[in-house]
Amino acid sequence: MTVQILLLVGLLGASALAILAKDLLKSAISLAVASLFLGIIFFRMGAPYAGVFEISVVAGLITVLFMLTIALTAQGNDVRESKLVKTVFPLFFIVFALIDALVMKGILSKIPALEAAAEAGTFGDVLWKERSFDLVGQLAVILAGVFAVLALFRKRDHHE
Amino acid sequence: MNNAWVLYLVFAAGLFFLGLYCLLTMRNLIKLFIGIEVVGKGVSLALLATGWARQSIFLAQSLVVTYIVIEVSLVATALAVIINLYRTNQSLDIRKLTRLRG
Repeated sequence: MTVQILLLVGLLGASALAILAKDLLKSAISLAVASLFLGIIFFRMGAPYAGVFEISVVAGLITVLFMLTIALTAQGNDVRESKLVKTVFPLFFIVFALIDALVMKGILSKIPALEAAAEAGTFGDVLWKERSFDLVGQLAVILAGVFAVLALFRKRDHHE
Repeated sequence: MNNAWVLYLVFAAGLFFLGLYCLLTMRNLIKLFIGIEVVGKGVSLALLATGWARQSIFLAQSLVVTYIVIEVSLVATALAVIINLYRTNQSLDIRKLTRLRG
Protein backbone atom coordinates (compact mmCIF):
# COMPACT_ATOMS: atom_id res chain seq x y z
CA MET A 1 0.00 0.00 0.00
CA THR A 2 2.93 2.34 0.69
CA VAL A 3 4.02 2.09 -2.94
CA GLN A 4 0.46 2.90 -4.09
CA ILE A 5 0.37 5.99 -1.83
CA LEU A 6 3.73 7.15 -3.20
CA LEU A 7 2.47 6.65 -6.75
CA LEU A 8 -0.74 8.58 -5.98
CA VAL A 9 1.27 11.44 -4.45
CA GLY A 10 3.50 11.41 -7.55
CA LEU A 11 0.40 11.53 -9.77
CA LEU A 12 -1.03 14.49 -7.88
CA GLY A 13 2.35 16.29 -7.84
CA ALA A 14 2.95 15.81 -11.56
CA SER A 15 -0.60 17.01 -12.32
CA ALA A 16 -0.09 20.11 -10.13
CA LEU A 17 3.20 20.80 -11.92
CA ALA A 18 1.44 20.42 -15.29
CA ILE A 19 -1.05 23.09 -14.27
CA LEU A 20 1.27 25.50 -12.47
CA ALA A 21 4.37 25.35 -14.73
CA LYS A 22 4.84 28.52 -16.74
CA ASP A 23 6.43 26.82 -19.76
CA LEU A 24 3.83 24.91 -21.81
CA LEU A 25 6.37 22.28 -22.88
CA LYS A 26 7.15 21.50 -19.24
CA SER A 27 3.40 21.28 -18.61
CA ALA A 28 2.96 18.74 -21.41
CA ILE A 29 5.87 16.63 -20.14
CA SER A 30 4.52 16.77 -16.57
CA LEU A 31 1.16 15.58 -17.88
CA ALA A 32 2.92 12.63 -19.55
CA VAL A 33 4.68 11.80 -16.25
CA ALA A 34 1.29 11.94 -14.47
CA SER A 35 -0.11 9.50 -17.05
CA LEU A 36 2.86 7.22 -16.45
CA PHE A 37 2.12 7.20 -12.70
CA LEU A 38 -1.57 6.54 -13.39
CA GLY A 39 -0.66 3.66 -15.74
CA ILE A 40 1.54 2.06 -13.07
CA ILE A 41 -1.30 2.46 -10.51
CA PHE A 42 -3.66 0.70 -12.96
CA PHE A 43 -1.17 -2.13 -13.41
CA ARG A 44 -0.86 -2.59 -9.65
CA MET A 45 -4.66 -2.63 -9.24
CA GLY A 46 -4.86 -5.59 -11.62
CA ALA A 47 -5.99 -3.69 -14.72
CA PRO A 48 -3.19 -4.29 -17.24
CA TYR A 49 -5.19 -3.31 -20.35
CA ALA A 50 -6.18 0.06 -18.91
CA GLY A 51 -2.54 0.57 -17.83
CA VAL A 52 -1.22 -0.23 -21.30
CA PHE A 53 -3.73 2.15 -22.92
CA GLU A 54 -2.96 4.89 -20.39
CA ILE A 55 0.80 4.67 -20.90
CA SER A 56 0.89 4.12 -24.67
CA VAL A 57 -1.97 6.34 -25.78
CA VAL A 58 -2.23 9.10 -23.15
CA ALA A 59 1.45 9.36 -22.16
CA GLY A 60 2.61 8.75 -25.74
CA LEU A 61 0.19 9.90 -28.43
CA ILE A 62 -1.57 12.74 -26.59
CA THR A 63 1.77 14.18 -25.40
CA VAL A 64 2.99 14.21 -29.00
CA LEU A 65 -0.21 15.99 -30.08
CA PHE A 66 0.27 18.57 -27.31
CA MET A 67 3.90 19.16 -28.30
CA LEU A 68 2.88 19.55 -31.94
CA THR A 69 0.28 22.16 -30.98
CA ILE A 70 2.75 24.00 -28.74
CA ALA A 71 5.28 24.04 -31.60
CA LEU A 72 2.67 25.33 -34.09
CA THR A 73 1.53 28.09 -31.74
CA ALA A 74 5.01 29.13 -30.63
CA GLN A 75 4.34 32.87 -30.47
CA GLY A 76 1.14 32.50 -28.51
CA ASN A 77 2.81 31.24 -25.37
CA ASP A 78 3.17 34.65 -23.77
CA VAL A 79 -0.32 34.74 -22.29
CA ARG A 80 -0.10 36.53 -18.96
CA GLU A 81 -1.85 34.62 -16.23
CA SER A 82 -3.30 36.43 -13.25
CA LYS A 83 -0.77 36.80 -10.43
CA LEU A 84 -3.31 35.55 -7.94
CA VAL A 85 -3.44 32.11 -9.58
CA LYS A 86 -0.24 30.80 -8.04
CA THR A 87 -0.43 32.62 -4.72
CA VAL A 88 -3.98 31.58 -3.88
CA PHE A 89 -3.54 28.00 -5.09
CA PRO A 90 -1.78 26.50 -2.01
CA LEU A 91 -4.42 28.02 0.30
CA PHE A 92 -7.33 26.67 -1.77
CA PHE A 93 -5.68 23.30 -2.12
CA ILE A 94 -5.00 22.89 1.61
CA VAL A 95 -8.62 23.82 2.43
CA PHE A 96 -9.90 21.42 -0.23
CA ALA A 97 -7.59 18.59 0.92
CA LEU A 98 -8.78 18.98 4.52
CA ILE A 99 -12.46 18.93 3.51
CA ASP A 100 -11.79 16.06 1.10
CA ALA A 101 -10.03 13.91 3.71
CA LEU A 102 -12.65 14.60 6.39
CA VAL A 103 -15.82 14.32 4.32
CA MET A 104 -15.06 11.63 1.74
CA LYS A 105 -15.38 8.66 4.10
CA GLY A 106 -18.75 9.94 5.37
CA ILE A 107 -20.07 10.45 1.83
CA LEU A 108 -18.93 7.03 0.67
CA SER A 109 -20.45 5.27 3.67
CA LYS A 110 -23.87 6.60 2.63
CA ILE A 111 -23.69 4.93 -0.78
CA PRO A 112 -25.62 1.66 -0.63
CA ALA A 113 -23.39 -1.35 -1.06
CA LEU A 114 -23.60 -2.87 -4.51
CA GLU A 115 -23.60 -6.55 -5.11
CA ALA A 116 -19.94 -7.52 -5.10
CA ALA A 117 -19.84 -10.77 -7.00
CA ALA A 118 -16.66 -11.75 -8.81
CA GLU A 119 -16.92 -11.45 -12.59
CA ALA A 120 -16.98 -14.47 -14.79
CA GLY A 121 -14.94 -14.79 -17.97
CA THR A 122 -12.07 -12.66 -19.17
CA PHE A 123 -11.59 -8.99 -20.01
CA GLY A 124 -12.25 -9.79 -23.67
CA ASP A 125 -15.61 -11.37 -22.82
CA VAL A 126 -16.70 -8.32 -20.83
CA LEU A 127 -15.48 -5.83 -23.46
CA TRP A 128 -16.82 -7.54 -26.57
CA LYS A 129 -19.94 -9.34 -25.27
CA GLU A 130 -21.34 -7.23 -22.42
CA ARG A 131 -20.54 -3.88 -23.97
CA SER A 132 -20.88 -4.62 -27.66
CA PHE A 133 -23.28 -1.74 -28.40
CA ASP A 134 -20.97 0.81 -26.72
CA LEU A 135 -18.25 -0.14 -29.16
CA VAL A 136 -20.42 1.00 -32.08
CA GLY A 137 -20.75 4.40 -30.38
CA GLN A 138 -17.02 4.42 -29.76
CA LEU A 139 -16.31 3.80 -33.45
CA ALA A 140 -18.74 6.60 -34.35
CA VAL A 141 -16.90 9.01 -32.01
CA ILE A 142 -13.53 8.12 -33.55
CA LEU A 143 -14.91 8.64 -37.07
CA ALA A 144 -16.46 11.95 -36.00
CA GLY A 145 -13.05 13.01 -34.60
CA VAL A 146 -11.30 12.10 -37.85
CA PHE A 147 -13.83 14.04 -39.95
CA ALA A 148 -13.66 17.02 -37.57
CA VAL A 149 -9.88 17.21 -37.90
CA LEU A 150 -10.13 16.84 -41.69
CA ALA A 151 -12.75 19.59 -41.84
CA LEU A 152 -10.69 21.94 -39.68
CA PHE A 153 -7.55 21.51 -41.78
CA ARG A 154 -9.16 21.46 -45.21
CA LYS A 155 -7.54 23.56 -47.90
CA ARG A 156 -9.39 26.72 -48.69
CA ASP A 157 -10.86 27.13 -52.16
CA HIS A 158 -9.23 29.73 -54.40
CA HIS A 159 -12.31 31.93 -54.64
CA GLU A 160 -12.70 32.22 -50.82
CA MET B 1 -16.29 -0.17 3.00
CA ASN B 2 -12.71 -0.54 1.89
CA ASN B 3 -10.18 1.96 3.28
CA ALA B 4 -8.05 1.77 0.14
CA TRP B 5 -11.11 2.68 -1.94
CA VAL B 6 -11.59 5.83 0.18
CA LEU B 7 -7.92 6.69 -0.33
CA TYR B 8 -8.17 6.32 -4.11
CA LEU B 9 -11.30 8.46 -4.22
CA VAL B 10 -9.67 11.15 -2.04
CA PHE B 11 -6.84 11.39 -4.57
CA ALA B 12 -9.30 11.27 -7.49
CA ALA B 13 -11.19 14.21 -5.93
CA GLY B 14 -7.85 16.01 -5.54
CA LEU B 15 -7.14 15.58 -9.26
CA PHE B 16 -10.66 16.79 -10.07
CA PHE B 17 -10.09 19.88 -7.91
CA LEU B 18 -6.76 20.61 -9.61
CA GLY B 19 -8.34 20.43 -13.08
CA LEU B 20 -11.31 22.53 -12.05
CA TYR B 21 -9.03 25.16 -10.49
CA CYS B 22 -7.10 25.33 -13.76
CA LEU B 23 -10.31 25.68 -15.79
CA LEU B 24 -11.58 28.49 -13.58
CA THR B 25 -8.41 30.57 -13.27
CA MET B 26 -6.14 30.11 -16.30
CA ARG B 27 -6.28 32.12 -19.51
CA ASN B 28 -4.13 30.09 -21.90
CA LEU B 29 -6.19 27.79 -24.15
CA ILE B 30 -3.64 24.95 -24.04
CA LYS B 31 -3.44 25.23 -20.23
CA LEU B 32 -7.22 24.99 -20.05
CA PHE B 33 -7.11 21.83 -22.10
CA ILE B 34 -4.43 20.39 -19.80
CA GLY B 35 -6.91 21.10 -16.98
CA ILE B 36 -9.56 19.03 -18.78
CA GLU B 37 -7.03 16.20 -19.12
CA VAL B 38 -6.31 16.30 -15.38
CA VAL B 39 -10.06 16.14 -14.61
CA GLY B 40 -10.25 13.11 -16.93
CA LYS B 41 -7.41 11.42 -15.03
CA GLY B 42 -9.32 11.87 -11.78
CA VAL B 43 -12.47 10.39 -13.30
CA SER B 44 -10.69 7.35 -14.73
CA LEU B 45 -8.94 6.75 -11.38
CA ALA B 46 -12.30 6.91 -9.57
CA LEU B 47 -13.89 4.52 -12.10
CA LEU B 48 -11.15 1.94 -11.82
CA ALA B 49 -10.86 2.23 -8.03
CA THR B 50 -14.61 1.63 -7.66
CA GLY B 51 -14.45 -1.36 -10.00
CA TRP B 52 -11.51 -2.70 -8.02
CA ALA B 53 -13.34 -2.27 -4.70
CA ARG B 54 -16.54 -3.92 -6.06
CA GLN B 55 -14.63 -6.79 -7.65
CA SER B 56 -15.78 -5.90 -11.16
CA ILE B 57 -12.42 -4.80 -12.47
CA PHE B 58 -13.06 -6.04 -16.03
CA LEU B 59 -16.10 -3.82 -16.51
CA ALA B 60 -14.29 -0.81 -14.98
CA GLN B 61 -11.29 -1.55 -17.17
CA SER B 62 -13.40 -1.67 -20.33
CA LEU B 63 -15.02 1.66 -19.37
CA VAL B 64 -11.59 3.24 -18.84
CA VAL B 65 -10.32 1.89 -22.17
CA THR B 66 -13.41 3.33 -23.90
CA TYR B 67 -12.82 6.66 -22.17
CA ILE B 68 -9.17 6.75 -23.26
CA VAL B 69 -10.06 6.04 -26.91
CA ILE B 70 -12.69 8.78 -26.88
CA GLU B 71 -10.22 11.11 -25.14
CA VAL B 72 -7.80 10.77 -28.07
CA SER B 73 -10.56 11.74 -30.49
CA LEU B 74 -11.47 14.70 -28.28
CA VAL B 75 -7.85 15.85 -27.95
CA ALA B 76 -7.25 15.69 -31.72
CA THR B 77 -10.37 17.75 -32.45
CA ALA B 78 -9.81 20.28 -29.67
CA LEU B 79 -6.16 20.85 -30.55
CA ALA B 80 -7.17 21.37 -34.20
CA VAL B 81 -9.69 23.98 -33.02
CA ILE B 82 -6.99 25.64 -30.87
CA ILE B 83 -4.57 25.82 -33.84
CA ASN B 84 -7.28 27.37 -36.02
CA LEU B 85 -8.15 29.90 -33.31
CA TYR B 86 -4.46 30.78 -33.04
CA ARG B 87 -4.24 31.33 -36.80
CA THR B 88 -7.23 33.65 -36.64
CA ASN B 89 -6.34 35.63 -33.51
CA GLN B 90 -2.51 35.23 -33.31
CA SER B 91 -2.96 34.57 -29.60
CA LEU B 92 -3.96 31.80 -27.21
CA ASP B 93 -5.49 34.20 -24.70
CA ILE B 94 -9.16 33.42 -24.04
CA ARG B 95 -9.86 37.10 -23.29
CA LYS B 96 -9.21 37.88 -26.96
CA LEU B 97 -11.86 35.44 -28.17
CA THR B 98 -14.57 38.03 -28.02
CA ARG B 99 -15.40 38.42 -31.71
CA LEU B 100 -18.68 36.54 -31.35
CA ARG B 101 -19.77 38.49 -28.30
CA GLY B 102 -23.21 40.06 -28.69
